[in-house]
Amino acid sequence: MNDQCGFTDLTEEDVLDAMRSMQGYVDITPGTFREIYALAYDLALKRVRSLGKAEDIMTAPVHCLHKGMSASEAAALMAGLGISGAPVLDGEGRVCGVVSEKDYLRTMGLPGTASFMTVVSTCLSTPGCMVADMRKLLVDDIMSTPPVVASRETPVAELSEMLARHSINRLPICDDAGRPVGIVTRTDLVGSMCGR
Amino acid sequence: MDYFKKMRGTTQSPPRVALPEVLWSWVGAVIGIALVGLLHARMVDQAGQALLIGSFGATAVLVYGAIRSPLAQPRNVLGGHVLSALIGVCAQQTLGATPWLAAAVAVATAIAVMHLTKTLHPPGGATALIAVIGGDSVHGLGYMYALVPAGLGAVILLLVALVVNNIPKGRRYPEFWF
Repeated sequence: MNDQCGFTDLTEEDVLDAMRSMQGYVDITPGTFREIYALAYDLALKRVRSLGKAEDIMTAPVHCLHKGMSASEAAALMAGLGISGAPVLDGEGRVCGVVSEKDYLRTMGLPGTASFMTVVSTCLSTPGCMVADMRKLLVDDIMSTPPVVASRETPVAELSEMLARHSINRLPICDDAGRPVGIVTRTDLVGSMCGR
Repeated sequence: MDYFKKMRGTTQSPPRVALPEVLWSWVGAVIGIALVGLLHARMVDQAGQALLIGSFGATAVLVYGAIRSPLAQPRNVLGGHVLSALIGVCAQQTLGATPWLAAAVAVATAIAVMHLTKTLHPPGGATALIAVIGGDSVHGLGYMYALVPAGLGAVILLLVALVVNNIPKGRRYPEFWF
């Protein structure tokens, strides 16, 4: 059996315990159940893998920011491109962090879960400009590090699991040297589910 | 050798069920068979028509004792008894002169037809066999045997199963109808 996380290591005792916890007579032997389970699991795995890999759904080329860029310059760049986040590259062109709306919100003293509405309501109730302090900052100061990245071969199912686990919205896809070759956003993932 | 190795078995028996399950199986069976038996006595008195046949004992095991089983679902209970009865009568009427052959063909064909129609119900095999070995009283019924006793008895056992099996919280019946 193709087993990667020990999930399919179902023992006969597990099956017996499960059967005991169900009320009523289940007319299947533990052995047959394990056989069905193994076959069904392999099919499910195949289905998940058939969703494809990162390179099938990523957006490329990817718009990048550079270390040393000011936070306001970066904000203007992203605003012009209509994106809400981007990887930050170091001098050698490797991804060394990711900047997103969330990092700006955090720098403004708002929680990472804040939305645009939080900004509006905070602005309306606070005198002065909330982002004034940011003018002196560089992207290096606000970016999230280390960057959460994936490779071209990462399966789509794993990408969505990574986004959920780290509560992030985009994953730079890097080559072996750490240079960005594309980016997968939540939008890309949603699109991949209906074959776009 | 693989062939003999297979005879050793590969797994173990499913666990024993809890006591409430035993009790509810008993209650269902006692009501179901009592009802069919009572009607049987009435019908034998008034019309000389039997209703209680041996295969219902086997049906009771399934519809009261193994209610999750695909073999115990309404489609299988009804379809299994009626189709097997028709096949049993047909075998009796065509091969009845050689009872052992009629019996064998009846049971084997009943299994095949139940498989093909997705109505496999083990007691159906007994219903087909009884059509052959049941004696003159059964032979005299002709194809009516499929309706009474086979069909009617199955319906009564099914109705009792529907009522009794859904009383306890942790039990439900059926898993599917057709």
